[in-house]
Amino acid sequence: MASASLPPTVLSLKQFLHRQKVLGLYRNTLRTIQQIPDEVDRKYLRDWAREAFKSNKNATDQDAIRIMFTQAKHHMEELQKSLALAKG
Amino acid sequence: MAARVLQQCVRAIARPSLRLCSGNLAARAAVAPSAAFHRPLSFAADSRRTRWLGQSRISSVGVLCRQYGDLPPLTLESIKDRVIYVLKLYDKINPEQLQPSSHFMKDLGLDSLDQVEIIMAMEDEFGFEIPDAEAEKLMTPEEIVQYIADKNDVYE
Repeated sequence: MASASLPPTVLSLKQFLHRQKVLGLYRNTLRTIQQIPDEVDRKYLRDWAREAFKSNKNATDQDAIRIMFTQAKHHMEELQKSLALAKG
Repeated sequence: MAARVLQQCVRAIARPSLRLCSGNLAARAAVAPSAAFHRPLSFAADSRRTRWLGQSRISSVGVLCRQYGDLPPLTLESIKDRVIYVLKLYDKINPEQLQPSSHFMKDLGLDSLDQVEIIMAMEDEFGFEIPDAEAEKLMTPEEIVQYIADKNDVYE
């Protein structure tokens, strides 16, 4: 009966955890992009990341979200590796 | 003539009492007016802090005082101005709708991704990191001002 008093848009625990993870990934991605030395590239990648996250913000399918999350994380790690190589 | 100007510059730089406030180029320029051409260098060096330079120079031109590498102390007013300034620069916020109490999602129509970006812009502006758990609770300009003031020990 407790659930009756909750607002209709309330997220399940799993969705809530997903949301946290995606927002954390978004933060980390933007942070990584901030480290790019070239200003034009930085702006381009930032806009690209924003678009990519925003175009999928209404996705609800758990599996699709998980796949996209893994892909995005992969992209970010690749970018981090490239940045580390460029610095060293 | 040129030799005299040069001598004046060297003397001004070498004088130990002036070296204490070597950050204060305005003061040095007052002793040796010909040294004023050094000034543009200071603009280039802190272009990020131009807003502060503008304020601090006015107050320090007449007064010789030591200047350390820190910014002027934060006040609630200055934090508020800077927060509003950053928010106005954000492309999805309509500056006319923006009120200190407006909720990012309910009043300004932003989503949680925009809110993450706003918090990151605040981190850049104020130069410290806001942990995720705190960041997602900051939903209005007022709350951001309050949080930053708490973190920097600023009280009324």
